[in-house]
Amino acid sequence: MAERYSSFTPGGTTWLLQRITAAFLVVVLAFHFFLLHFVNHAADVTFASTQARMENVGYFLTMVLFLVAGTFHGVNGVYNALVNQGLKGTQKKVVLAVLTIASVALIAQGTYVALVMAGWT
Amino acid sequence: MSQSYNRGLIEDFGRWKEFSAGMWAWIFHKFTGWMLIGYLFTHIAVLSSAVTGPEAYTNTIQGLESLFIIRVLEVGLLAVAVFHILNGLRLLMVDLGVGLDAQDKSFYASLVLTAIITIASVPTFMDGVTI
Amino acid sequence: MSTQQQKPETQESPDDSEMNGTESPQQERLEKKERSMVDERSADESDLEGDTVHIKVFRYDPEVADKQEPRFDDFHVPFKKGMTVLDAVMYARDTYDSSLTFRHSCRQAVCGSDAFFVNGKQRLGCKTQISELQQPVRIEPLPHQEVVKDLVVDMDHFYDQMHAVEPYFKDEDTPDASDLEEQRQSRENREKVKMSTRCIWCASCMSSCNIAAGDNEYLGPAAINKAYRFAMDDREGDEIKEHRLRILEQEHGVWRCQTQFSCTEVCPKDIPLTEHIQELKREAVKKNLKFW
Repeated sequence: MAERYSSFTPGGTTWLLQRITAAFLVVVLAFHFFLLHFVNHAADVTFASTQARMENVGYFLTMVLFLVAGTFHGVNGVYNALVNQGLKGTQKKVVLAVLTIASVALIAQGTYVALVMAGWT
Repeated sequence: MSQSYNRGLIEDFGRWKEFSAGMWAWIFHKFTGWMLIGYLFTHIAVLSSAVTGPEAYTNTIQGLESLFIIRVLEVGLLAVAVFHILNGLRLLMVDLGVGLDAQDKSFYASLVLTAIITIASVPTFMDGVTI
Repeated sequence: MSTQQQKPETQESPDDSEMNGTESPQQERLEKKERSMVDERSADESDLEGDTVHIKVFRYDPEVADKQEPRFDDFHVPFKKGMTVLDAVMYARDTYDSSLTFRHSCRQAVCGSDAFFVNGKQRLGCKTQISELQQPVRIEPLPHQEVVKDLVVDMDHFYDQMHAVEPYFKDEDTPDASDLEEQRQSRENREKVKMSTRCIWCASCMSSCNIAAGDNEYLGPAAINKAYRFAMDDREGDEIKEHRLRILEQEHGVWRCQTQFSCTEVCPKDIPLTEHIQELKREAVKKNLKFW
């Protein structure tokens, strides 16, 4: 029972971050769907049209932030789902490490792809 | 108590018929969440074709979009995303302590809205593709 | 008219305007729920008069060779007006099978001993009218707790979680002998914690909670509600409140709640458990934000 009294409280911060990213994602995900399926049809996407969008710094930053927020929200959600099912001990640490590495890799790759799309590489 | 009897999984998902609205909302939210994070990884992988070159990117996207099955999956993705957004708004309200008494109604509302938005979007999503 | 349940003359309560304050949505909802239940009951009861009720009771006993494999036993119990689920199993035990085992004591929803899983929902046996239920009435021990015998489950884990939140009133120091006065609570503050004080430790909520089932370390709705009762009480000092919140904001504390509302729905005392857990989450976030 001693562990109940540690001053380190991981739950609260990630809980709040999960909510903050949620509020951000609600708006940007809706915008993303609307832009690429209704304003522009996904079937008509070419590299040139993608580049035209990505060259806009505001759009570029929004998309990178969208990726970071989405990755955190999704991976944290997966991790929480596993903790809810009683994951603990070494298994929990391994899962956390794997998920963290996967997230960092996804964000790095995604950001690189966005830079290529914008033509800034 | 070493001899006590544990009834196992039958207590949980074996009783799905007895689940209440809040429980269903949670199951759907988790399920759609798993789909969306899975899609995010796939999405970045597909877009990575841009690294190879502009031609590869355009060909990959247009090649995929010409497939009927991809269009169907996209409609599914829309349904999943819209539900996750709407139920997510419901959960944000619950977290703020707003409208806790109407939590079941708001779940049904998000289901109905998801259905309406998805069905209304089918023509746009299926534009210019044949089986 | 004969079948209509005669409501006892409502007791004249002392005319205290402050006590009959404005009605909250929660109260309204409860009243509506009650009204609909009374209607159903009076309609059903006329059909059941003079009839028998069919109950199926979960049987298991590791010490009896015959009962090591769990099974359901059928009992047909003569119906009496106002009969509860507890009345029915007591009749079955007294008349048919004296080995039928279950916990019960006060028979008036105060002791919290007789929470069963009745027709797929956690309910208090003594507070559930048999006429409200579809037959055959399936009576099982609480899910997610180990069965000891028949309808008796092992409550040790539940009690451990309840004690983990230190569910008692504490003050930093003993007050000086010079000012040994009553520790008064404002009416508003009493109203705030009123519902949370109603808990009878029946473990229905814990049993209904999908997360508590998977994560054994999760405190569970009842324990968190208990902590709410003290953390929100003005008479407790700031330091103690912070200590309490520190227990609650552990990884397996309030954050594990997924707002499925299962606990709130089964609570026989109508405690708005989810609401209380959510309020504590916000409290904990606010407390931590101060240090940023």
